[in-house]
Amino acid sequence: MSSLVGFLSLVFAIGINFYLFLSRYIFKFQKQKFNLFIRFSSLLTLLSFFSLMYAYVVSDFSNYNVFQNSHSNKPLIYKISGTWGNHEGSMLLWLCILSIFSFFFSFTKNIEDNFQKLTLIIQAFLHILFGLFIVLTSNPFLVNTILVNEGLGLNPILQDPGLAVHPPILYAGYVGYSIVFSIAIAGLFQNTDDEWIYVAKKWSLISWTFLTGGIALGSYWAYYELGWGGWWFWDPVENISLMPWIAGLALVHSLMMVRGEQAIKKWIVFLSILCFSLSVFGTFLVRSGILTSVHSFAADASRGIFILLIFFIVTGFGFLVFLLKEPKKSNALNLLFINKVSALVINNILMIIATLTILLGTIYPIIIEVLYNKRISVGGPYFNSTVIPIMIPGFLLMSIAPILSWQTNQINNSKKYVIAFIILSVLVILQSYFLDFNTWGFVGLLLGFWIILASIIAIFSSYKIKINIKFFKIINPHVAHIGVGIAIIGITCSSVFQNELDFNLNEGDKFNVNGKIVLFEKIETTNEINFQSLRGKFLFDIEKNQSKEIEAGKNYYPVSKMITSEAGILHQWNKDIYFILGDQKNNEWFVKVLINPFVSFIWLGVIIMMYSGLIAVSRR
Amino acid sequence: MNRIFILTPLIVLLIICIFSLVYLLSGKDPNKPPSALLNKDVPIFESSSLYNAKDIIKTKDIKNKKTLINFFASWCSPCKIEHPLFFEIRKKYPELYLLGFNHKDPTIDAKKYLKDDGNPYDFVGVDSDGLIALEFGVFGLPETYLINEDGKIIYKFMGPITMDILKNEIEPLL
Repeated sequence: MSSLVGFLSLVFAIGINFYLFLSRYIFKFQKQKFNLFIRFSSLLTLLSFFSLMYAYVVSDFSNYNVFQNSHSNKPLIYKISGTWGNHEGSMLLWLCILSIFSFFFSFTKNIEDNFQKLTLIIQAFLHILFGLFIVLTSNPFLVNTILVNEGLGLNPILQDPGLAVHPPILYAGYVGYSIVFSIAIAGLFQNTDDEWIYVAKKWSLISWTFLTGGIALGSYWAYYELGWGGWWFWDPVENISLMPWIAGLALVHSLMMVRGEQAIKKWIVFLSILCFSLSVFGTFLVRSGILTSVHSFAADASRGIFILLIFFIVTGFGFLVFLLKEPKKSNALNLLFINKVSALVINNILMIIATLTILLGTIYPIIIEVLYNKRISVGGPYFNSTVIPIMIPGFLLMSIAPILSWQTNQINNSKKYVIAFIILSVLVILQSYFLDFNTWGFVGLLLGFWIILASIIAIFSSYKIKINIKFFKIINPHVAHIGVGIAIIGITCSSVFQNELDFNLNEGDKFNVNGKIVLFEKIETTNEINFQSLRGKFLFDIEKNQSKEIEAGKNYYPVSKMITSEAGILHQWNKDIYFILGDQKNNEWFVKVLINPFVSFIWLGVIIMMYSGLIAVSRR
Repeated sequence: MNRIFILTPLIVLLIICIFSLVYLLSGKDPNKPPSALLNKDVPIFESSSLYNAKDIIKTKDIKNKKTLINFFASWCSPCKIEHPLFFEIRKKYPELYLLGFNHKDPTIDAKKYLKDDGNPYDFVGVDSDGLIALEFGVFGLPETYLINEDGKIIYKFMGPITMDILKNEIEPLL
């Protein structure tokens, strides 16, 4: 029953959007009526999504999708997250978020009616494309032809709270760019005043903040669930999320800096189209199964072709409009050796090069396989040695960019920065000399600390310190950059200075980790509702009274016959101690211990960046 | 000039779409990569034994005998999974020559691995820099190749072999 409601409301919602799309040419609507229709179709799409969720919650196995991906023994939260833990459901979530964005956009004030309407018509067009994709190739409401009492389970690796919220937040980022895309296209068609830039800024900041959160959650999940000890693997799916993120970063910066320069406006339109194109391209790569990764879902060529077609239409349409209706160029850029505009241009160029480098590495295997019938993989070494050096000048620049002048080459208090930089360099050189020299470690630490230091100097020397909301809005760019600096320190330390220890242990053995004695207490197996767990219990630092307990082990999911590893992580502010329980051999357990310094800084940096994103949304 | 700049994204888009479309239509499966080496001569290699650096194996040494080549390493956990199967093969097909290539592994670790889990191979060649794997087009460990008496590669499998694969795909060729 819920499947029927879901399917009908989905079809009805697509129908309404079709009607609205035609309204541009045939039926004329009042603004009020038009907005009502948009909201109604959004609610229908939501209804459709919640019908599917309901089928999951009540374990309605007459729905084929639920039968394939759920199980009545699963805890409620994973029944709910199971809704989007599969291809069909996640596409419905995609569409649902698209609708939610349209819904909220229809309430935007201070923009011209026709402009708003046109934006929403483009949204309706996107809704039709993706809606048809769902109905025709990925219908989550198919009826199960056989009568069954039990489902086939959910991929156990997805049974994790972090991953339950990761897709919706990531999708909010991806799909949020649809609004930015629609605004930019509508702007090209209508050539209105610059009001649209402020609107676009708000939406692109929202999307970017969600995307940041989604990526961070995903990599945090990979960190503690995959049990590989790292948090970023240059997996194709990670690259796919990183591309719109970097392009979105360029977009956000351009939107904040634009002061009526036509060239930058043109560039903003280009980036807006690019961001959404990359999002759709990412959807294509993941959904077609064309690239292998940890995210592989069942691949199906017809789906791949359909979504490739959508990608082609959306991107082709976007860039074609851009080609035909490009904004006219009038005033030139005020480029100096080092002022705000030139910093912005450099920043944008670097980010675009980085995006293209990642794009090349991601699609290169496809091109090679088509041309030479050979399989190659492009992984960490390529990306580390290309993307990171490209970004370095940008990181150097961002430390001072917010305080650069618009009109002149002068930097206020330049002496302070020079002195600070020299002192910092000496300190970092000393640190590397006495501790552990590593080129990347040196560069990363210097950059990270320099960004933080320069931003703090800028805050204290350029503004009057007041504790109120306005002040926090003014210093927001610096705060964002401090977040980046902290994240860079975390990234550098955790990847360059990671330490790995291997042990073969019996229960009751004591061993030494980083100067602390650890006791391997015992192995425990328990039966949980939907899995069996095997846990090694460790007591960290037993010489002190407050020793900490760490559990590392594996889960066995009998329904899907899969084993997942569960790393045991002891979080400390300056390092994570990461335990992985290996196999048993000759009564000895293989235990791997990784010491990851300053991992928490990565998450802290990301949280600061997201905070600044939200503050910037409220700032005009 | 400006026009070209604006046209670039469209051209890039077209190229990406064409390649992706060809890829999808050719029915390629990302889990089953092609091998350009199938039915070709086994690449020329030369490798010393893990246990005795003076003991060298060359391509011509495996001519005239059916050979199963397996790339493995002590750090590769899927290799551990398939390892016991080689003893089965050994028992069932004593005349089949089992050649293992130890890929990018410290000698101590490799020896320890083969001591702990047993050594099913007739010869363990060292491929410490991965050059032999490169010649064979190894994509990821483990990988297994079957070479016939004429020195041609007649079968390739990526990933750990399983009982099913052994029964249905490898044994018919033996």
